[in-house]
Amino acid sequence: EYSASCSEEEDEEDQKEDNTVLSGQETPEKMKAAPAPPPSNPLAKKNKENKMGNLVEEYFEAHSSSKVLTSDRTLQKLRRRRLSQQTLHDLLKKAPLAYAAEIKELNQLHESLFSKWMLQLHLGFNIVLYGLGSKRDLLEKFRTSLLQDSVHLVVNGYFPSITVRSILNSITEEVLDHIGTFRSPLDQLDFIIEKFKEDSSLELYVLIHNLDSQMLRGERSQQILAQLSSLPSIYLIASVDHINAPLMWDQAKLSLYNWLWYETTTFSPYVEETSYENSLLVQQSGSLALSSLTHVLLSLTVNARGIFRLLAQYQLENKGNPSYPGLSFQDFYQRCREAFLVNSDLTLRAQLTEFRDHKLIRTKRGADGVEYLLIPVDDSTLTDFLEKENEDV
Amino acid sequence: MLLRKQHAAIVAPPGGRSQLPLHHPFPPAQGRAGSYHSQDGVREWRRAHWSPFARRRQSVLPPCVRTAFHWEAGGGRLGSTRALPVLLAAGRCVRCRGCLWRERGGMSTCSVSKGCFVFKPSPKKRRVSQKTAIHFRDGKNGSEDSELRFDTCQSLWNQIKLETEQIQEDLNKQLLDNVVSFLRRSHSEFQGKTTEWTYRMKSREIPTAALVLGVNVTDHDLTFRNLSEALQNNITPYIALLEAKDCSGIKNLMQKLMGQLMNCSTDVASLEDEDYVQVSQNRIRCSMKSLVDWYESVTKKTDSETLSKKRTSSSKHQQSPPVVVIFKDMESFTTKVLQDFIVISSQHICELPLVLIFGIATSPMIIHSLLPHSVSSLLCIELFQSLSCKEHLSTVIDKLLLTSRFPFKLGEKVLQVLINIFLYHDFSVWNFIRGFQLCIVEHFYSQPLSVLCCQLADAKERVNSLSHDQCENVRRLPSFRRYVERQEAEKQIALLTADSFLKETTQKLLEDLHVYHENYVSVLRCLHVFTCSLPKYPLGKQIRELHCACLENRVWETEDYESSLQLARMLNKSDLETILQQCVEILVSSAGNEFDKAVEKLKEFLTQFQKLEAEAFQEQDVSVSSQKELQKKTDLYHLQKTLLELKDSRRSKKLTKFEMLRFEVVDYIDSLVRNYLVPADHKTLHEVVYFNTASVLRGHLNAAPRIALHTALNNPYNYLKNQALKSDGGSISNKAPDICIVYKLHLECGRLINLVDWLEAFSTVVTAVEEPNADTASSDQVDDIIHARFIRAVSELELLGFIKPSKQKTDHVARLTWGGC
Repeated sequence: EYSASCSEEEDEEDQKEDNTVLSGQETPEKMKAAPAPPPSNPLAKKNKENKMGNLVEEYFEAHSSSKVLTSDRTLQKLRRRRLSQQTLHDLLKKAPLAYAAEIKELNQLHESLFSKWMLQLHLGFNIVLYGLGSKRDLLEKFRTSLLQDSVHLVVNGYFPSITVRSILNSITEEVLDHIGTFRSPLDQLDFIIEKFKEDSSLELYVLIHNLDSQMLRGERSQQILAQLSSLPSIYLIASVDHINAPLMWDQAKLSLYNWLWYETTTFSPYVEETSYENSLLVQQSGSLALSSLTHVLLSLTVNARGIFRLLAQYQLENKGNPSYPGLSFQDFYQRCREAFLVNSDLTLRAQLTEFRDHKLIRTKRGADGVEYLLIPVDDSTLTDFLEKENEDV
Repeated sequence: MLLRKQHAAIVAPPGGRSQLPLHHPFPPAQGRAGSYHSQDGVREWRRAHWSPFARRRQSVLPPCVRTAFHWEAGGGRLGSTRALPVLLAAGRCVRCRGCLWRERGGMSTCSVSKGCFVFKPSPKKRRVSQKTAIHFRDGKNGSEDSELRFDTCQSLWNQIKLETEQIQEDLNKQLLDNVVSFLRRSHSEFQGKTTEWTYRMKSREIPTAALVLGVNVTDHDLTFRNLSEALQNNITPYIALLEAKDCSGIKNLMQKLMGQLMNCSTDVASLEDEDYVQVSQNRIRCSMKSLVDWYESVTKKTDSETLSKKRTSSSKHQQSPPVVVIFKDMESFTTKVLQDFIVISSQHICELPLVLIFGIATSPMIIHSLLPHSVSSLLCIELFQSLSCKEHLSTVIDKLLLTSRFPFKLGEKVLQVLINIFLYHDFSVWNFIRGFQLCIVEHFYSQPLSVLCCQLADAKERVNSLSHDQCENVRRLPSFRRYVERQEAEKQIALLTADSFLKETTQKLLEDLHVYHENYVSVLRCLHVFTCSLPKYPLGKQIRELHCACLENRVWETEDYESSLQLARMLNKSDLETILQQCVEILVSSAGNEFDKAVEKLKEFLTQFQKLEAEAFQEQDVSVSSQKELQKKTDLYHLQKTLLELKDSRRSKKLTKFEMLRFEVVDYIDSLVRNYLVPADHKTLHEVVYFNTASVLRGHLNAAPRIALHTALNNPYNYLKNQALKSDGGSISNKAPDICIVYKLHLECGRLINLVDWLEAFSTVVTAVEEPNADTASSDQVDDIIHARFIRAVSELELLGFIKPSKQKTDHVARLTWGGC
């Protein structure tokens, strides 16, 4: 029997060794503890099969009924329902990092590999790090200790709006100093490949934190990155965290990437990586939206502010209505007129352009062709805004 | 660059302005009453401050503020559910807390709005070309002779690389020759410009070569490169290689095709008319028509050129060379694109001598399943089969490992890992060679004595110049220690104290090792000749299996070897003779010179077999006579008696001469095996040339990230060597890192997990330790901290992909993994 990963064989060997150790001791207690006769090879295999069976059953058991038996308690009932990002951060600062000494030791172990990584990068391999714990600090250390004197690009894969395009852009614009645009990422890639082939003195280190992030894990992105990494003078060192990360790559991509895998379990908390995550328990505050609202409004005329407030009030009145389409332009005009804010619908339109430019309102055409106006801000922020406005006035 | 849109929503940290060195203040807050009151005023202000100059000045801002502008400007989502907006409050970046500003204004890589950071050292500081050898020396495993080691490593690898390329070329030669001759034939009619009716009918069909290349798609690159080189040299300059990823639609395909064709035309067309080339890609519409026009103009030009100048470059090709379009990995193309292209181009085949080449990974049947009959009838397909990847691997192993040309050797486990990856993961020879490269690098990097891993003559010289430290390294080798123990007392002392004596011995031992390799390979091949013809192949069909078996331990002690000897003793004469003949050939051609005797002996066997033939008739007579006796009329008693006698005589019967000889032959081969096929790790100094750390190799090439995660979560003691973490198995230790506790708790849940319950369980587990010193006053705060720790652990699990938010029930998450790992 062959095993693909080779690890099983060793496991079996280990098991065997254990067994011999057990039987060698021959303590009566141990014998009692293991009522089954020392498992021979076929038996061990059977055990394994049983285990496999259990896994399968476990899955189907969990998915058999659509009904889920969990308690109905919700976070609403807790005193501290959701923490804001800020308080979370402060609180975690207070909590001491467990096993700091051991973690440091682990990190030192990994850091001793830095020069080896450099060697292997230069020999045409690319390096991917995996294992539990944030590898950001490790890579940063690598960067600051070895890459200071060379051109390098750091990509935060966990950044929520990262795209391959922005990666390519920073290579063409900042590394290659090219001004101009490209029709498609593929064209851009061709350009980069061409440039790097032309000039053999060009070298670029690319560090990607979380190559398996939501934004980069797509097939096309990975294809482009793989092709980039296959260039002999681009050295890629990346980290992956997701358990299914290796599924991103097929044979073709793997051979382009030419990975060397390094297990770097660090146990450090994913501070940066999860701060962007739209976390389950973290309260989403709209403070930025609020401040942008107030600042735009500050620079406008009293009438314009009044117009906006009118719309906001109307929207809040309808906040319970899930199918609220927005305020139709005609109604809005009527209301503004009544409040002596505008005198013609042209003036209103002019005012609205200002809001639209700042993305403070959105217009939508309804099924009947009527224009509806909406403020694309969530209700709580809007309430806060109105409260603040009223204070000022 | 930072700001694409002028109408950025202006965001200023409320009230925090004074803390920031803003160089272009926002419209004054009193604007409500002041001069900026009107819209025009605001526009004015904006124009003044968001000019390109202002933009440049912006870089003086701390990144957190700068980037917030950028984010807003780049169509940022107001009130988006992402956590981004939180980060800019109270005038400082909440997350980096203004640290960015302090860090020389941009050396950090944490930002709220940017994901990419380019760092360019000033040109003065930049090292022009870093020597790779520097990193080689930095390793912790001793810096002795590092440069020499690195050079040896590189030159060895370059040799091996050349060798592998040569192998690939040789193996593909047959295939390439066939394809080239097919292409020659395919458009021979086109040259004649015949206008016959039959030709016209036939010419609707596009000549197509289908290359079945095997499933190892990654190896195809090299094949196609060789192919297009061969075509370029022999047939046509017009070759386009299309890949599925470039051809999502027929338009892209045509674009790519024309781009490639028109570029390559510059090689032939003289460089005088550069403007023509520049026009080509951008202005000409990508259609078949323009392709035909292009072809006509190009061929006409070369025609006239050949007439006038007789240029060498174009005379190499035929008069009107075919246009070859290669579809790499045909299975991955969309059928529609392929069909469209074939139908369209078949319309123009009279004007444009097109030839298609399909690279096929699976089976030729795929053409018919991808293309309907109406389309495939437009093709005139000829099939070409490449060598299977297994044969390729055998050749590679044969040429790289089973030879004494290269001093570097692979240990048994390492070889097994590489072969397993090949057989069970990818069938890619390229990957195998890559693994081999890694082995070489690892060996030279980690073994200081690898400096001696070179050709024998060089190695002997290098031994002389070994430093004292290196001598100590030699003494530390396990195999050398074993060797020392076997020596007499005086010699032991000399070996352990006198460097010069050690060097002498080392030279001798290295030579022994070298001789051992030379002999090993020859005898291994002889043994393989024997075993590969046995029924059921007890020692494997391939020589690599036999090689592994011999490396692993003493092959003659294994059961398989025993049974194969048994089987060998039953071989018939003609087989035995051919085998012996082959063995003689192998031994004669071997590099070792110890085999003169063996060759003689085997030849003697062969002549003896020939002699036997004459004697064979006699034997037959004897047996016939005894048979005849039985046929006589006799009573039952006598019959029984004679039968018993016969049986006795058979049992004690002396073996025939042939059988005796056969035994002798097998015994002789057995003695050869025992002499020469000693496992390598029994040899002194084998560590110098053998790479044996399979675990490293497996870790780097065939990693199991998920298992690593599972181990770390389940049993943190594996990584964090703290006694407190030593757990006795199933129970959840309250001392484990938070994420481990949360993970273990989640394993106990079903498909959905209630966050509140989970939190409660977590806090119960965690507080179990802290109970004694929990003050009532600060318990509130402790709770808060636990809550925060829980949030962090849960969001980490989400990042790792163990859970995801669920909308089925409020405040629930869905579990995504089942079973251990």
